[in-house]
Amino acid sequence: MELFSQEDKMSSLISRNYTLLPVINRFGIRLGFKEKTIAEVCRENDINTDFFLAIVNTYTDENYFPEAELLSFSPVLLIDYLKNTHRYYIEYVLPKIEQLLNQVLLSCKDNCSSLKMISTFYQKYKAELLLHLQLEDEKVFPYIIDLYKHKKLNTNGSSIEVIENEHTNVEVKLSDLKSLIIRHMPPNYDDNTMNEFLTALFQFENDLNDHARIEDHILITQVLEFEKELRK
Amino acid sequence: MKENVFIIHRSEIIRKGLALILQEYFKMEITQLNSAKDLSSFAGISNSTTILILEAGVEQNTKAIEQLQKNNDVFLVGFFSETINESAGVQYDYHLTQYSSAIQIQKLIQVIRQAGSKQKNHLLENGELTSREKDVIKLIALGLANKEIADKLFISIHTVISHRKNITEKLGIKSISGLTVYAIMNNLLDIQDINPEELI
Ligand SMILES: [Fe+2]
Ligand SMILES: [Fe+2]
Repeated sequence: MELFSQEDKMSSLISRNYTLLPVINRFGIRLGFKEKTIAEVCRENDINTDFFLAIVNTYTDENYFPEAELLSFSPVLLIDYLKNTHRYYIEYVLPKIEQLLNQVLLSCKDNCSSLKMISTFYQKYKAELLLHLQLEDEKVFPYIIDLYKHKKLNTNGSSIEVIENEHTNVEVKLSDLKSLIIRHMPPNYDDNTMNEFLTALFQFENDLNDHARIEDHILITQVLEFEKELRK
Repeated sequence: MKENVFIIHRSEIIRKGLALILQEYFKMEITQLNSAKDLSSFAGISNSTTILILEAGVEQNTKAIEQLQKNNDVFLVGFFSETINESAGVQYDYHLTQYSSAIQIQKLIQVIRQAGSKQKNHLLENGELTSREKDVIKLIALGLANKEIADKLFISIHTVISHRKNITEKLGIKSISGLTVYAIMNNLLDIQDINPEELI
């Protein structure tokens, strides 16, 4: 894989990695780019090109970690993007996954108790994920926005380290869900429907992992640096 | 262990050509970079076998390489244009030139992979749980903590933890509620009177 650069054609970005489709949408970019380059499309949509590249490259290569000089953009920009992503999960992805799961359940004729437990397990996972997203939307992001606005540390000494919660628990549950279905559950369901459900899960997992990587590696790292400076 | 392959060379022809030859033979993800500087963005990789194919004779990103070597098994392959002349700078583990044949290039990867797997060649069991592990998973499903499980089975906490680790490795399930679903699915619990969904 080669890193995307600003002279690349926007259309080649999608041909090389179609899972970026929802990502560019979150930036407000829509299809029909003709021969325009990434830089041109970004300029037209009023998007910071460095920021856009950092996001799509992190998304494409899980080992990629943009360097400090590349992180010239403000965390507030990043938060906008992350919030958009949360909305996309809550309003589009989760309902779609649930709909597919319901179809799988409906396709089961007998001995469906295992499937029902999978469904309960999914609900538990979803509740935990929603809580995580809510905490970020209501506590973590506002804290960061405030910090950058007032350029002053909280008097009660709270810092981003205390507020940001871990991603491990939700990640583990999603991986367990897949494992239970793929390895341990008797296949009492329609195969095509289950494949669709699993495909959606895999895609969601990818998207979520990337999202968490951006939060942990780009956003939180930046805020930690900023807090350190303010403490001086 | 995960494997990461990097090709760092200023020539796009060489990057793409080398990647093509490798991918013809191996299923691998290859990251192609046109400048050594970009390697810094990947210095956070850990616990993997990392193969770096580097354009020889140019300045290397020694800082990133050292960082990678701290947390990974790193194999350095020098890519020379004509002849191999190691004068200064990075010590390469292996060498290639632009005249190396596809077979030579592919052999090299095989050699590296064997070297990498030699140290960690542990036996994989058949994946079935032992009866002791079934005892443990039962109690996990019922919501007991490590200490309580240890007391019930007359074993040390240390042993409980090692059982849990083995269970997770065999089943690919880590969370308590995931293990509970597994236990119920496989009738490891005798719970006529409890609604199984309440346990999850
Ligand atoms: Fe988030
Ligand atoms: Fe998060």
